[in-house]
Amino acid sequence: MKIFQVERTLVATARISQLENRRLLVVKERGGGRQVAVDPVGCKPGDWVIAVGSSAAKDAAGHKDYPSDLTIVGIIDYWEETPPATPARVKEFA
Amino acid sequence: MQIHRVVRDLVTTRRLGTLQAKKLKVLVDAKGELDVAVDPIGCKPGDFVISIGYSAARIAAGDPRVTTDLTIGGIIDHWSEEEWRR
Repeated sequence: MKIFQVERTLVATARISQLENRRLLVVKERGGGRQVAVDPVGCKPGDWVIAVGSSAAKDAAGHKDYPSDLTIVGIIDYWEETPPATPARVKEFA
Repeated sequence: MQIHRVVRDLVTTRRLGTLQAKKLKVLVDAKGELDVAVDPIGCKPGDFVISIGYSAARIAAGDPRVTTDLTIGGIIDHWSEEEWRR
């Protein structure tokens, strides 16, 4: 699982029927690029979330034939954005 | 899923049978890298789309036997070039 921050909802009216009417969100990985995730939880913009990828994403979105490669599985209660982990910081937490 | 923009059609007459007769599109991402995806919707060049990867791409193509690793899942209603490059 990876940690993402929710940016905004994504509206796509013309979509394949297998995607059903699930909510799609634009999420940004920590220090990385943007992706689109299925949201079965109900997140708000700004929420820090955890999301699963590859084949777990299909099950997480409802059933194993659902065509998702990234699905949000939980909203993180407390998360303060910190600089990327450096050896010194890792020692700090150890 | 990723956000891509449709560049143009891609025609490959001589192709593997497992690819069936699925329509293909050339897509570009925000970094300018090209990718080819199955298009079950019928997108136009310039459309911003959501593309589905990994094994979910095979389901999205309408038949899990289709050998694709990228399929267009939907056309984004509102998306701008500036938002994309940000």
